[in-house]
Amino acid sequence: MKKRLLCIKVIISLLFILISMNLHSECKYDKRINNYKKAWAKLIPSYTKIQYGGGMGLLSFGTGWDYGKRNQGETDIFFGFLPKYSTDKAKATFTLKQNYIPWSVQLTPIFSIEPFSCGGYFNTIFGSEFWSRQPHKYPKGYYQLPSKIRMHIFMGQRITFLFSKEQRYLAKSISLYYELSTSDILLISRIDNSYLRPRDYLRLSFGLKLHLF
Amino acid sequence: MKVMNIRCKIFLLLSLILFNGCELFEPHEYAGKIRGEKSINTTNLYQIENNCRNKEVIKFAVISDSQGWYNQLEDCVNDINSRGDIDFVLHLGDLTDYGATHEFAMQRDILQKLRYPYLCVIGNHDCLGNGEYVFKEIFGELNFSFMAGDTRFVMLNTNSLEFDYSERVPDFIYIEELLSVKNPSHKRTIVAMHAAPNSEQLVKNLSKSFHSYISRFPNLLFCLNGHGHSFLESDIFNDGIVYYQCTCLKKRGYYIFTLNADGYEKEIIMY
Repeated sequence: MKKRLLCIKVIISLLFILISMNLHSECKYDKRINNYKKAWAKLIPSYTKIQYGGGMGLLSFGTGWDYGKRNQGETDIFFGFLPKYSTDKAKATFTLKQNYIPWSVQLTPIFSIEPFSCGGYFNTIFGSEFWSRQPHKYPKGYYQLPSKIRMHIFMGQRITFLFSKEQRYLAKSISLYYELSTSDILLISRIDNSYLRPRDYLRLSFGLKLHLF
Repeated sequence: MKVMNIRCKIFLLLSLILFNGCELFEPHEYAGKIRGEKSINTTNLYQIENNCRNKEVIKFAVISDSQGWYNQLEDCVNDINSRGDIDFVLHLGDLTDYGATHEFAMQRDILQKLRYPYLCVIGNHDCLGNGEYVFKEIFGELNFSFMAGDTRFVMLNTNSLEFDYSERVPDFIYIEELLSVKNPSHKRTIVAMHAAPNSEQLVKNLSKSFHSYISRFPNLLFCLNGHGHSFLESDIFNDGIVYYQCTCLKKRGYYIFTLNADGYEKEIIMY
């Protein structure tokens, strides 16, 4: 009888320990999952962009992240569309772009200007006729730069309109920007030739940024 | 928000309409969006044939490999323009470094300043990316031919390495078709190309066949090629037919050839 009682006591205490352990672990689990979700939530892009021109396609659609104390840093990815024009087919491009916007001047509660922005981007064009590493058929060092990847640098300006809380539908604010850019091959041409005028080696692009949150 | 959106749409639309034709808005290096003059070879070819009809003495300049050397090309065009005795100018290819659309357009804009009609043959650099399509649009066919007086000029694409096996480079069928055309005024022939048959561009196994094909043209005087970036005179196949290699524009030189009843004269001009 005594033995039985002891047995029941042990079982009950074991169960209790198990349950308490379980409860404890559930708490930690929640925390972990929360942290996990938070970490991934940081990767949700905070804006969308549309850009016209700039060596990344006729129209490019992008998204990205801003960071820094004053949101002075921005990293975008773009997919661009290039019509056929005089070539054999329409093409797609992909761009990784880094922006730096050091100053923002608030002129009115809803209107601000960013007097200077700069940065650079890598653009790649899709299609088997373009290569990033020289195909084996060529002797070593036959061509200097790859046709598939272009590097660009730019500087520009922006204006931003902030929506009041009642006006907000999808975006918190909207920015319009223009950029003057040049690519690696345009820059090399300019360095080698005084013949090139600014309109020969500079490219103008316009864009729109919808700040979601 | 709605007002904003309409404003943005108008802004985008305006920018699209207003600036679409300007080179500042070139959408990509390989866009193939061509502003300005097109089909230049086709137009100039007729002009040359008409100008040189029944002419006894024909004088032409040969330039080559002007890729990335805009200053030098402009000086060269000025130097050729300062002469008063030329009938036409031949460019033996490599107008571009990367086959990019703007390179073709900028080179063409300088060449358009020539007082004389000019023709361009395609170089290996011009085939990079989608350059061949842009070349075709701005200049014309990759293989073509014209008569200047009693001399037939045959301009050939010899950049086999750039086309793999998908296209006929060099195009023997085109050469055969030309050989089958009987023209009584066709007394002699000059063949011009970018890469010489002994270069790495032409399929190694075909260099002799290529030469024997073009040797069948009536009275082949000589051949012209670029690609080597230096002046060179070589009887590659030891049969008396000389390949004159033109230097690149970086070295600021070009050929002047004079065809007369007795044969031809060659002159090297440094500017």
